[in-house]
Amino acid sequence: MIQPEQLVGGEWAEWYRLTPVQRWLESEKLWQTYLALGGSLDPEPDTQSPFFDARASRPRPAHGRTGVRVLRRGRV
Amino acid sequence: MGGQACVFYGAAEFSRDTDFAILADAPNLARLRKALAELQAEPIAVPPFALKHLRRGHAIHFRCQHPEALQMCVDVMSKMRGVDSFPNLWRRRTTLQIPDGEKCDLLSLSDLVQAKKTQRDKDWPMLRRLLEAHYFQNQPKPKPAQIRFWFQELRTPELLVDLARRYPAICRRLAGQRALLVHAQSGKMDDLEQVLLAEETAERQRDKEYWLPLRQELEKLRHAKLGGGS
Repeated sequence: MIQPEQLVGGEWAEWYRLTPVQRWLESEKLWQTYLALGGSLDPEPDTQSPFFDARASRPRPAHGRTGVRVLRRGRV
Repeated sequence: MGGQACVFYGAAEFSRDTDFAILADAPNLARLRKALAELQAEPIAVPPFALKHLRRGHAIHFRCQHPEALQMCVDVMSKMRGVDSFPNLWRRRTTLQIPDGEKCDLLSLSDLVQAKKTQRDKDWPMLRRLLEAHYFQNQPKPKPAQIRFWFQELRTPELLVDLARRYPAICRRLAGQRALLVHAQSGKMDDLEQVLLAEETAERQRDKEYWLPLRQELEKLRHAKLGGGS
């Protein structure tokens, strides 16, 4: 039998080995961190979705800036 | 039916919206309106929140204004391409009790797999992960139904070859239903990868064709909304 490590590496193998409820709880921790860092619940535009409407208005973040900004650009 | 279900079953998606598959009937819609009111959720974009649009196969989109769910988007659907009717989804559902005692009803894995066969790039690695997780969790002592499910749905060449080696008779029997199983039997990894890709491409094309008339309807609704029509 193939073991997860042989196929997907350590991190994914560890994730696969969690029980569904453990995965749910880990995901909740990630959410708490994301929200504590000021992350927004407004989803990114999904341009491949059949529902995507490029003309639809989107709410602006409360601080008036986009969610991600380039602070330093490295040379190619 | 979306990101939360994927996390539960073993993929990892950081989805910021919440998708619900619901029974589209009048009493259930009344209950949904009440729940959405608690979330201070307003419909966004098109189509408007109406039974006929849900039954047609459209998704209705909402954005929450409740402080605890500010800007969270909720999508509601009742009919999905290639996915069974709601009563059958409900019969097969998985119920999860989360630590605060709340219960969440999720699509079964097999129904989630069908729902994820879309035209979007991001759904296909997700499908692969969902199936891998299920395979690794159950491979020591699989039930016959699980073996059949893997032969029908796995998207990882190595696992398909492994499965074909372990259960050659079942593989031969199911090869009529999924042509690529012939390549799993032969163990030719490159061929298997190519036919898996072809299978994905064909499925994505079917999804695009399914959505074509629905997208046209959405476009008409958008025009009507912009023009102030009904």
